[in-house]
Amino acid sequence: MIPSLLCPDQPLRLVDTHSPSASARQAIIRVEDLSIVFDVPSGHVIAVDRVSLAVTQGEFVSIVGPSGCGKSTLLNAMAGLERPFEGQVLIAGEAMLAPRPEIGMVFQQPHLFPWKSVRRNIAHGPRALGKSKAEALRIADDLIAMIGLTKFASAYPHTLSGGMQQRVAIARALANQPRVLLMDEPFGALDAQTRAVMQDNLLELRERINATIVFVTHDIDEAILLSDRVLIMSAGPGRILKDLQVSLPRPRSSAIVAEAAYLALKRDCLDLIRSEGRRAFEQMEIRT
Amino acid sequence: MSVGGRSSASATARLSVLVAVLSVPAFTGVWELIARSGIVNAVLFPPPSTVAVAILEWIRTGQFFGDLMASLSRVAGGFAVGAAGGIVLGVLTGRVRLVSSLLSPLFHILRPIPPIAFVPIVILWFGLSETGKLFLVVWGVFFTVWLATHIGVQKVDHGLIRAAQMLGTPQPQMLWEIVLLGALPYVTVGLRTAVSISFYTLVAAELAGSFAGIVYRIEIAQQNMQTGQVMGGLAALGLLSFVADRSFAILAERAVWWR
Repeated sequence: MIPSLLCPDQPLRLVDTHSPSASARQAIIRVEDLSIVFDVPSGHVIAVDRVSLAVTQGEFVSIVGPSGCGKSTLLNAMAGLERPFEGQVLIAGEAMLAPRPEIGMVFQQPHLFPWKSVRRNIAHGPRALGKSKAEALRIADDLIAMIGLTKFASAYPHTLSGGMQQRVAIARALANQPRVLLMDEPFGALDAQTRAVMQDNLLELRERINATIVFVTHDIDEAILLSDRVLIMSAGPGRILKDLQVSLPRPRSSAIVAEAAYLALKRDCLDLIRSEGRRAFEQMEIRT
Repeated sequence: MSVGGRSSASATARLSVLVAVLSVPAFTGVWELIARSGIVNAVLFPPPSTVAVAILEWIRTGQFFGDLMASLSRVAGGFAVGAAGGIVLGVLTGRVRLVSSLLSPLFHILRPIPPIAFVPIVILWFGLSETGKLFLVVWGVFFTVWLATHIGVQKVDHGLIRAAQMLGTPQPQMLWEIVLLGALPYVTVGLRTAVSISFYTLVAAELAGSFAGIVYRIEIAQQNMQTGQVMGGLAALGLLSFVADRSFAILAERAVWWR
């Protein structure tokens, strides 16, 4: 009953699995043979090693992997914050060489502008894109209502809790109505309870916005709960190990973690990560 | 036990407040006594009462107001120009590598030269004009504010800049809003240091030859052996500098309004 949920034979490049022309039209994000190399004092480190993937319009894809596996670097490349060493990232057919306002990003830390109120933080993007002040504030007020912080509209970020700050950061990223929302461990710095609330919030939010979401996390539960598809990355050098379809029904809530189908999926992920961890560890021993 | 301990602690606190209140009057009293006792030369070391009379006379003749305005306008004008230049160039050198490569080496060579050392060349260039005095104050203020801004800009949270980039913030807004406000806590520290520096350089500027000003008055009084007036001038300068520093501290607190 369970194996049907998994697609173990699914290759790395989703584009190639379906009829190429149709999925090529649908794929909003295409990462093609992307490598990213960092210069370090002792030479260089391959953070991302010839990764290819495609994300379909409207899809929620998580990238899971151990710390330092290059998942954040991969996301930064999608954001245009990191230049490819080889290969390219195409979003809506255009190479990402610099940030574009139609691609929103939420970081692990909220990075709110401390000198702006909640309202002005959210209005920042529309203002930067040349919208009138009134229009920008109207967009902000709508989003503030959506994240349930109307009472805190004129509060400054430092007066808010970590979870509230991150909700504002999400609203700020949504204010430009991005086609793609990139999230880099957005709940990683929050306590377990707040994180669960935030995950439910994000699930609800997702029903209301039609952005494609790429979500980086090291938390497998979080990835399965939120995503349509989970990409598992290996460390050193960063590669995509597995592409898992999550066919659990929506709408979902964090209650899903007790269901058998969910647990089977999670066991599969853990096995993969464990064996990969062992392989990486052994490889390291051989090298040294 | 604990009650007794607490009341003795509060007694100590009350005593230290009392001592603090009496500190200045006590020293003034001792000074008055010593100056009048004949142990020291009262012409060179006049009692506070003589100083007070000199200050009152200074105010009564109307000279004080003129001196105050002359000094204040030099400090304020020099501070405004130097600070504005320091902030603008600090943001540029801190953020734009090419500008930094062009200017930073030069600034680092010029910065350690004490502004007072420029007095001779300033007299050659500007004579005894106000421009020369303004130049000295500007020089002193500029480098302090520039360095504080330059460092502050480099310490701006990189995450803020990335967040602003992702939101499509145009380059000018990035520099003059995100980067400058991000660096503001550092900039205000630099500005506050520059307030004291502007008074140091004022002294050099007025000693170099002027026709009005608090330090000018001190110098004239010295030449006339009016020691009471000299001390009165020093007191006025100290008070002015203190008030400027305190009011700037309050202002700086408000400048970083989001904290």
